Amino acid sequence: MMPGRLLVAVFLAGLLLAAGVQNRYDTTVDYFANRDTFVSLPSGKTMKTLSFGYSNLAADLLFIWSIQFYSTTYLTNRFDFLERVYDTITDITPQYKEPYIIGSLIMVYEARDIPMALRLLDKGSRHNPEEWFFDHDAGYYCYKFLKDFAKAEFYYNRAAAKPEAPAFIKRLNAHMVYLRDDHKVAYQMWLEIYNNARDTLEKDVAFNHLYQIKAENDLALLKERIGIFRRQFRRWPATLSELLSSRLLAALPGDFAGNEYIYNPEQGTVSAARVFKWKRP
Amino acid sequence: MKMKIKAIAVNTFKESARNKMFYLLVFFGILFALSSKLISFLTLGDAIKVLKDTGLAAINFFCVLIAIFTGINLVYKEIEKKTVFNILSKPVSRDQFIIGKFLGLALTMLTALAAMAGIFFLFVALSGGGFDLKIILYFFMLFLELLVIVAISLLFSSFTTPILSFIFTVSLYLIGHIMWTFNEFKLILRVPFWKYFTQALYYLLPNLDKFNIKNEVVMNTALNPWTIFFSVLYALAYILALLAVTILIFRKRDFQ
Repeated sequence: MMPGRLLVAVFLAGLLLAAGVQNRYDTTVDYFANRDTFVSLPSGKTMKTLSFGYSNLAADLLFIWSIQFYSTTYLTNRFDFLERVYDTITDITPQYKEPYIIGSLIMVYEARDIPMALRLLDKGSRHNPEEWFFDHDAGYYCYKFLKDFAKAEFYYNRAAAKPEAPAFIKRLNAHMVYLRDDHKVAYQMWLEIYNNARDTLEKDVAFNHLYQIKAENDLALLKERIGIFRRQFRRWPATLSELLSSRLLAALPGDFAGNEYIYNPEQGTVSAARVFKWKRP
Repeated sequence: MKMKIKAIAVNTFKESARNKMFYLLVFFGILFALSSKLISFLTLGDAIKVLKDTGLAAINFFCVLIAIFTGINLVYKEIEKKTVFNILSKPVSRDQFIIGKFLGLALTMLTALAAMAGIFFLFVALSGGGFDLKIILYFFMLFLELLVIVAISLLFSSFTTPILSFIFTVSLYLIGHIMWTFNEFKLILRVPFWKYFTQALYYLLPNLDKFNIKNEVVMNTALNPWTIFFSVLYALAYILALLAVTILIFRKRDFQ
């Protein structure tokens, strides 16, 4: 019979040898060399059928897997399957909201594919018509990345119509109208927000927008009239009131706070006391 | 008559409760339900949703296992061990025997479910999910499903071996959860005979997905009271039908 000590020695030697072999093998293999991956998923409907009543669990597990999968940054072609993966998850349980949000975040910030994100968010909105945040997120991506203010306005408008939409969605909607240069409509929208503001923050935000829109309109008019004045009299007007006496203006506009615009008679420039650079490219 | 059924039911319950497998499955049911917390750590967003999903699925799965394993052995064991002769030689009819067995199994399921559900309900509350009364409604619906499964396993147990009973019951359980595909299947069939055949199967086989309200509970969407009401009626009708067939088969069995 083999003595106990010998057995321990055999055990330790065996372990040591195994570790040594593994270590030797590891030096010959580059585990991260293959940066390609392949994902094959059955359709959401098939997954739902095969889950036999445990579809929620199947969607959860697939969603958790997708988070780990899309965090594996060395897999260079992982985005090839992005739409398919999130389509499958959301086909299994269309009411599961997180996959729409997280999936679109990956599509936008990692895969840089905004139209794909919009398709997923549209699906989320279709299946959860009472939720406002799918349209809110879609509107934000259109505004921030596509600079498509009309499309962003469309999404914000749809989000604002949802029963539990927060007040700031209306403000975002009005801001988009302003950004796509429809000042008349934007002014009306902001005026409505200003008149129905429920707190000082909302009132202040609306005030700033009304100030800016009015200033942009007024300053454009004043600059045009100052230019006409210069062409007629070959000099800049000494004061803005000269535009009234020369009948180029019927009345002098003031800013939304009730103050006069600042006029520089030496250079013929006119400006507002406050400037918001919201239209910076 | 009531006393005899009660005696058989209590005895069946005690017998099931003495089974180590029963405790093992309840233990694992609770363990898996509680380990849903670990899975919920891995997700992004609503962790409570994942916790509920995985926990309810674990309880559901282990309760179904208990229902199948206890159900398929019950009558068969009595016949194999010849204890059925002792019982039936007393003034107990075969009908009373089957009804008693069913009620005993129902009590066993209620006990197992109550243990798992109670712990999980508190666990969800302590994990920040609050006292979600919809979970209780879910367990009620699960209990109805378990009763149907118990009735199915009892039916097979009355005339075949445990292995075949297991295969038949599990098959019906799986089919019962994809009954919605029958309606779609019917649409692609062109021959009227197969259409009617599929339709007949749709009504004949147990529609167990009727009792599955996991989605409504976890997503916190509205539950239609009529759906619950019809599901209760459906369960009662189906159980009655299954018990009637079981009794008919059991009446005709010749114990040698």
